[in-house]
Amino acid sequence: MQFIFTLGTIPVALALLAGRRFKLEKSPRGIFYSVANGVLSGIGGLALFAAYRSGGNTGVITTATALYPLFTVVLAVLVLRERLTWLQILGLGFAAGAIVIFSLPT
Amino acid sequence: MHLPPWFWFAAIVIVSWGIVGLLQKLSTNHLPADSALIWLVVGFLLLQPALYPGKALFHYSPRSLAWALLSGVLNALGAWALLAALYRGGKASIVAPFTALYPLVVVLVAPVVLHESITFLQGTGVLCALIAVVLLST
Repeated sequence: MQFIFTLGTIPVALALLAGRRFKLEKSPRGIFYSVANGVLSGIGGLALFAAYRSGGNTGVITTATALYPLFTVVLAVLVLRERLTWLQILGLGFAAGAIVIFSLPT
Repeated sequence: MHLPPWFWFAAIVIVSWGIVGLLQKLSTNHLPADSALIWLVVGFLLLQPALYPGKALFHYSPRSLAWALLSGVLNALGAWALLAALYRGGKASIVAPFTALYPLVVVLVAPVVLHESITFLQGTGVLCALIAVVLLST
């Protein structure tokens, strides 16, 4: 299904491409980051599928992997030197709680 | 220490998708959101050969294929909006967890569309998500 799903993203990309009259910026870095983005997203999807297939507890896998945005937060703080306020850190705690609850099997 | 295979696959998911959040921010430091999405879709397409399900593709009903296509369209539109948020100065450390709250919409819409009921725990999740949205937006 991920194959079909990906086909669905093509018309959106084409529409945006037409919207900018088929002209794109020549930014090798921007292009590299964006393409890597797509490839890594797909690899993550394949790994998730593999995790489900490898006999682990589905609920545990779903909940654990749903917390990936927290790893982004760690990377953003370490690599991009982003700083958060105490209220925002508290917000992260609530977000993590919500993500865990939503990912639990009903 | 021996860890089961699923653990390593789950770790790959967290690491790769976690890095994706970082790359999204880095890409919008160099490109506007629409260009970043176009190249992201190119990245998706590079993996298509590995994802091709073969004959199984023809066993799905037209209806489920249509839903899968539509979810791809909506996902691309969502990714575009996410990239636009980062391009307009949103921090990766705020936008990534904020947008990961999207199940909130599913929990709220499912009772209406699919006639599912919300459990008490899910109600707590909705409350947590709403508090998170307010706090992350400060």
